[in-house]
Amino acid sequence: MVQVAESEDVTCLPMSQQDEWKDVVPLAQEETASPVCPIAYAEDYKEMMDYLRALMAKGEISQRALKLTSLVIEENPGHYTVWVYRKKLVRELQVNMEDELSWVADLSAMQPKNYQLWHHREAVVEMLLDPASIQGMSQDDRVAIPVLRRELGFLAESLDEESKNFHAWAYRQWLVRTYGLWDQELAFVAVKIDEDIRNNSAWNQRYFSLVAGGSSLSADVVERELAYTLEKIKLAPNNESPWSFIVGLLLRHAPEKLYESLLPQIKALAADEEYLTAISGTPFYWATLVDIYEQQAKDVPEKQKEAIELASSACDVLATECDLPRQKYWQFRQTQL
Amino acid sequence: MLNRDLHIRYFKRCLEMLPAAMQSLDATRMMLVQLSLVGLAALGAIDEALTSNDRHGIIEWIYAQQVPANADNSNAKYRGFRGSSMFGPHDQIEYMPANCGNLAATYSALSALVLLGDSLERVDKKAIIGVMRELQQESGCFSPHPHTTERDPRFIYCACAVSEILGDWSGVDKQAAVAYIQSCMCYDGGLTQVPFQESHGGHVYCCVASLALMGRLDAIPTDRVLRWALYRQNDGYNGRVNKDPDACYAFWVGAAVEMLGGHELIDSDGTFGFLMTCQSKFGGVGKTPGDYPDPLHSALGLVGYSFCRPEQLQVMSPALLLPLPLMEARGIGASL
Repeated sequence: MVQVAESEDVTCLPMSQQDEWKDVVPLAQEETASPVCPIAYAEDYKEMMDYLRALMAKGEISQRALKLTSLVIEENPGHYTVWVYRKKLVRELQVNMEDELSWVADLSAMQPKNYQLWHHREAVVEMLLDPASIQGMSQDDRVAIPVLRRELGFLAESLDEESKNFHAWAYRQWLVRTYGLWDQELAFVAVKIDEDIRNNSAWNQRYFSLVAGGSSLSADVVERELAYTLEKIKLAPNNESPWSFIVGLLLRHAPEKLYESLLPQIKALAADEEYLTAISGTPFYWATLVDIYEQQAKDVPEKQKEAIELASSACDVLATECDLPRQKYWQFRQTQL
Repeated sequence: MLNRDLHIRYFKRCLEMLPAAMQSLDATRMMLVQLSLVGLAALGAIDEALTSNDRHGIIEWIYAQQVPANADNSNAKYRGFRGSSMFGPHDQIEYMPANCGNLAATYSALSALVLLGDSLERVDKKAIIGVMRELQQESGCFSPHPHTTERDPRFIYCACAVSEILGDWSGVDKQAAVAYIQSCMCYDGGLTQVPFQESHGGHVYCCVASLALMGRLDAIPTDRVLRWALYRQNDGYNGRVNKDPDACYAFWVGAAVEMLGGHELIDSDGTFGFLMTCQSKFGGVGKTPGDYPDPLHSALGLVGYSFCRPEQLQVMSPALLLPLPLMEARGIGASL
């Protein structure tokens, strides 16, 4: 037996020896005769689960229940019903939401892969600020609301920590969409792309912020994005993100610009001594040519034959020089032209 | 070389006992059971590794997680299978959302039962179909259980797989589910969890497999999705653009490629070589070279391996993670 020193904090004692819990009869996990994939639980985890089961069985609403859900979630964030219980506790105990958000923030640093905690965060933020209450408010006023300012700050920190955190970006999209924070988003995204030009999450967020919940883009925006993307391609030609960004954007919003605008510009780049080697060496350049010529063949009947030939020779370059791991794919694509 | 005996021993060990480090997965033990069995099935070793007594014990544990109806049937929306025994004894929980089935666990349970040769007679099919109707959202997407805002193609996939295994699609509004998946198409040819989020190999799998099960692959531009998927390969597969390869995407992305008809186009030596470096010397497969093995990367890594070296392993269905001969014998996935 381990002796507990007198000076030790009472919370270090097993729960069964703490006054706070002495009225609770722990509820043990019930197993069949031969449990499958049993986990060799640590003693303290097993005990906190026994007490949590006892409280959840009755749906007890209390501060101690809230505290216990924190402990359990920190160990086992995938426990999907404890989150339901916690949400009920937060509501009924009128918990300070700022404290709740701080706790979730700490948790997300510990458990970056967990989905549930981000949904909890959404629920708490919605309890703090009803999206309907800020309708008609200007963008500047919105981002000055303490809750939203805090959330944007928290996200900036999270994405500084892990710039491709899928959940953090997903949450950011939720926040921007729910509270209409579109105007500030492009500037944020531009910084993230400058920090890491290969951050595909940031490129994706760029598209999200351009379309802003709608489905169309103006001709000016398309031109601006073309210029922007080409500058980024110059900085790092062998980077899939900007190539797929601009091809995808044009395919959706201005397919004719693929051959009218993107084509001459990337060909000029490939003829420029400064970029020639890097551009003609990257498979993304040649793959983009295949996409462009294929679109042109589809749209412009009088150019069809020539465009297919050009697409075909780009496939050749990919299959024999630039993209050998995908050789069979490019040979297949060639037969599909 | 693939060390078959070591891998069999690894999955057997997982079924027998997992370390405390896996406490964070306590609520998803059903998935760990399924994955361990999927691993054994890919090795063609379920009968060899498990006695009929072992199989019986596993089947009983799985059925013990099926949430029974309460006296007045007021827990109808909480039924199906839960992910673990961790939630407590069914008959002692009065606060109903505490003891709640989960669509992902229901899928894992049914898959595991089929792998073990169970007849599914004790599955309360009506209850499960009823729950699925509750869980499908107006958007067409599914939630895993009634009290969450989590909803994404993972749960559409679970609903489709459950429907296919049960041979009853009346719990799914297919048209709505297809429309949601279409809304998840990204500009780059991949698919994601919520419209406008970044393309992700796991969600590409769930979307493509759901469409395959619904017979609706025509609903997306498969040539663009195939290209996105093939671009994830650089020896191993990554799950997102400009990320490092990870063994589990040999399945998530590799299986999507199979369903999209790209089997002949992959760099199978690349996949093979990468997975070999992720093999642990103690059996099992880690996420990346040098990582400790875990049931997810082990099972999915081996199924990914089966796509590029089909002669060495059981042929597994990319859409359902079950051996094809077994599906044929049970009449599952006949339309695939």
